[in-house]
Amino acid sequence: MSAGPSPDGRYVRVPAASRRDRPVPGREALLLGALAFGLMMLAIQLWLLTVALELYLAGDGERVWGLAVGSGCVFVGGLIAVWLLSRRPRIGA
Amino acid sequence: MTEARERAAARPHDRDERWRSDFPYDWEADASVSRRDLLRLAVITSGALFAGTLLLSLLGRRDDRRRGSPRAIPGAAALPAGEALYFKYPGEDDQAVLLNIEGTGFVAYSQKCTHLSCSVYYRAEKGELICPCHDGKFDPRTGEPTAGPPQRRLPRITLEQRGGELFAIEEAP
Repeated sequence: MSAGPSPDGRYVRVPAASRRDRPVPGREALLLGALAFGLMMLAIQLWLLTVALELYLAGDGERVWGLAVGSGCVFVGGLIAVWLLSRRPRIGA
Repeated sequence: MTEARERAAARPHDRDERWRSDFPYDWEADASVSRRDLLRLAVITSGALFAGTLLLSLLGRRDDRRRGSPRAIPGAAALPAGEALYFKYPGEDDQAVLLNIEGTGFVAYSQKCTHLSCSVYYRAEKGELICPCHDGKFDPRTGEPTAGPPQRRLPRITLEQRGGELFAIEEAP
């Protein structure tokens, strides 16, 4: 199915995700789990940022580095998760 | 009767047509929003939050937030115990308050409330520093917040006696 207007020209036809783009069986739950966990980690990072700002404004800026390390670990974890999930496993392997 | 049935049968189709004109997109477009894309977006957001925290960390290491140079506080020597004197420090536009507390001696703070920067003043009869904007209260001995929305202590001004005069040395958060 190609992108562009439908034959009658009344609505936009967007190509549906092809079979190849859909996760293989069993991967869908993994993706959902990673997404839920990732959103939780984002909330923690936001909290770390507010604590860092609070410390900085209170003049305790030298203690912020520990929070930056924690936030960086979450970010690196996210990158690794995206890399792992973007690998397409061989079906039947 | 037959005509009425035909009209009734035609109605859902009409509704469908109206819906199409209000929302002229294909249903299948929904399938193109993938969880992978959302996960990537979450990772980008995570990177932005990390960058913010890292920036604060670097600023905290580099930035020395102490400011001001030694300056005499006029009229400080004559300040009776339990009273306050308002003066300008470290800059000409910065308000500060000097307190002579019984049993503690002289202490000075910036008058800028750590909540939203309103001016804090000393209420002698209750012995507390208050911010009238949101009823924030600070302990005059330490500058720590005791009530209201402020979460951080008032910036403290270091004092020193030099030849019978009281000097403000520097302001530190």
